[in-house]
Amino acid sequence: MVSSIKRLDADEEVPEEAFDVDIVDLDFHVNPREEELRPYIEDERALDRLSTEFGMWPIPDKWDAAYAIDEGNEGLFTQGRAEVAEDVRRACERFAINEPVVNAGINGLPQQHHPVLKNAVLRAGNSYMLDHFVDEGVLTALSIPKWDVDYALEELNRWGDEDGVVAAYSWYDPREPWGVEEFDPVFERLESLGLPLLLHGSLAFWPQHSYVGDEMLTWTEVLGFDWPIHGMVNTVNMIMRGVFDRYPDLNVVFQEAGHWWLPFVRYRMDEFYEMHPEDIQITPRKFEDGEHYLEKAPSEYLRENIYMCTQPFALPRRAGEARDMLNLSMAADTFVYSSDWPHQTLDPATWFFTSRAFRDDQELRDRILHQNARDILRI
Amino acid sequence: MSVETLKIDGDEYIKTAQTEEIPEGRGIAIDVDGIEIAIFNADGEFYAISNRCSHQSAPMCKAGEEKINAEHTWTKTRGRVDAEDCSVTCPWHLWKWDLESGKNEASGQRIATFDVTVEDDSVFVRI
Repeated sequence: MVSSIKRLDADEEVPEEAFDVDIVDLDFHVNPREEELRPYIEDERALDRLSTEFGMWPIPDKWDAAYAIDEGNEGLFTQGRAEVAEDVRRACERFAINEPVVNAGINGLPQQHHPVLKNAVLRAGNSYMLDHFVDEGVLTALSIPKWDVDYALEELNRWGDEDGVVAAYSWYDPREPWGVEEFDPVFERLESLGLPLLLHGSLAFWPQHSYVGDEMLTWTEVLGFDWPIHGMVNTVNMIMRGVFDRYPDLNVVFQEAGHWWLPFVRYRMDEFYEMHPEDIQITPRKFEDGEHYLEKAPSEYLRENIYMCTQPFALPRRAGEARDMLNLSMAADTFVYSSDWPHQTLDPATWFFTSRAFRDDQELRDRILHQNARDILRI
Repeated sequence: MSVETLKIDGDEYIKTAQTEEIPEGRGIAIDVDGIEIAIFNADGEFYAISNRCSHQSAPMCKAGEEKINAEHTWTKTRGRVDAEDCSVTCPWHLWKWDLESGKNEASGQRIATFDVTVEDDSVFVRI
């Protein structure tokens, strides 16, 4: 016998408790349309190339998500399309996100061909974000190009000390990793500005046009595993090449690189380094500084300088297993929550309120949901 | 909400909504003694299924909701109710659930479904 029936208000889409907790979302994409960006292209020549019949420059991908999900390319806009600050606020209300850190998400830029046009689009995106989000009080990560260090510095000089710009946003990809010394001026500037470097997966997928890449036939392989591999390669490259000995206050956040590989990298990096430490002295930074070894165990840089966005969290269902994974990952020091709104891999913060791993450890929950992010963002 | 019931072949059905309250391609959600049920209108046919996707507990009743700036997207809605396919697609991650069997083909998982009948423009669900 039924005793009570009530209509549910579905406007709040996550557990009620989520609305009582501070949630900072470190990867919230807005998607300005091409025609909205065009007025922000400053150089007439670049604008001409981008807006005449030649248009944008198509680069064929080997594979994309289109066939792998029910709605094809709409996976990029599963939840909608935020174009102005009010759109972001509307979306965040239903997911209990207090403080989204938005980015323009022009993730196709790194694989494009032309450096002048890439820079023009990147700057236009930043100008759009300054007008529509920074000025509207939404915390924003603005983009710096990986392909042009001088232009990255120009951009940092242009808006690096603006209130409301809380991080710099760039990409990891299958090209040169971020441990390379040419990026030092960027690291130095970021350190002095107090801005963390957010590195997002780019659409320059690895591995394309290679033996192993040519045999990858599914989106699960291409998106699910090549970004984490890029994340690992970049993390280890930065640590072993002494980036954080030279820039100890630099914080780097990987977005959509996965996060459960931290235990593997943590222990393997230390084991290999301790057995084979002698080549550190001839890596360029150490060589130049006349230093023999890293100043700390490699895993300590992982704990202190590297952060991982959690989307999609994919937490083990059993709380005991989840706790072990979180401990081994040093999650209290390394994990930061991200939703990836509006993409198909959206990750509302449900895990934090449904798993006993977090119900029994609210301090850990709070570190991931807001504290780690607030510690490193320039808020 | 007071509980209004209907007996069919000895089974008790409870009144959940008027048909006009559930537009074509959309759903509502109710809580019946702690059980969350989504009721959908698929081209005039009404179906009831668990309101929680087994993947990440998304509220299924949001399937078919208009997206933010829908006019600048292709499919316009978050998930959808597909009358031809007799399915509902989760508004968060697009897991597709058969409205009659409650089955998701890709994972083999099932969520609960409930018998529905319409009487005098009222939607009744058997719990």
